[in-house]
Amino acid sequence: MASTVIGAGITIEGEITTDEDVVVAGTVRGKLSAKEAISIEHGATVEADVVGGSLVVAGTLTGNVTATERVDLQPGARVVGNVKAARVTIADGAQFKGNVDMDV
Amino acid sequence: MASNVTIIGRATRVRGRLTGAADLDVQGFVEGEIAVSGDVTIDATGMVGAGVQGRKLVVRGAVKGDLVGEEAVLLEEGARVVGDVRAPRVAIAPGALVRGYVQTGQARAPRAQATTSAAKPAATRVPAPAAARGAATAPAAVRVASASGTAATTAPGKAQGAGAARRPPPPIVPALKKAKGQIAKRKER
Repeated sequence: MASTVIGAGITIEGEITTDEDVVVAGTVRGKLSAKEAISIEHGATVEADVVGGSLVVAGTLTGNVTATERVDLQPGARVVGNVKAARVTIADGAQFKGNVDMDV
Repeated sequence: MASNVTIIGRATRVRGRLTGAADLDVQGFVEGEIAVSGDVTIDATGMVGAGVQGRKLVVRGAVKGDLVGEEAVLLEEGARVVGDVRAPRVAIAPGALVRGYVQTGQARAPRAQATTSAAKPAATRVPAPAAARGAATAPAAVRVASASGTAATTAPGKAQGAGAARRPPPPIVPALKKAKGQIAKRKER
């Protein structure tokens, strides 16, 4: 159970900073940074630069992504932006436009 | 997945507006306006640095800003509020600290209408009619009904002789002060 949840009906315009896990099912515009896992659920919209430990995307994400561990784009995900992480996976059925940087 | 409830966790800090149509549980820090159509709970560890609007507001933490509830505002033990409180029902429990103007009755009445609502004691729908009527004639801004045991009551009476109605110095709100310092520090960095 994540400690911070942005529910489906909620819109946050601004900056979210946390040391915990974050689940986004609503809308976030601005900036999102977490030390732990971030999950962008199906139906969620994130228009923000995202910094996190690991990131799982099943919703819509517009913005640059930096993760210390990994980024997983699941089927149905729609991502526009650059992704920087040691490990990146893009599932069959995910839409993606941007650069991938795996620190090689 | 309970995605219709939004939780701002303990270690989370939000800078900016928070709007929408869901219930909200603030355990962390929100430095920006909250305007939702669902219920809002501000937990003992929660802090909000701006106004809060919602259907029913339950406060156990710190708020620096106006509280506007469409149904009710319940300030429970441990609540620290600096700002105005407006809702059809307002409850201030013993142990809650408030500094600001409190008005029961219609949720979004502007301050200018305080005169008219002070004229009719029926405007206070709280379970302490005798106290409320007394408060309406003698101008007193806020009254905490700890004697009756139930959480509490307010009476609008700021219209006449506001100077006489001034209460003693407001309670010190350490959590808010601390938060203010933290904000200042963050900006310096």
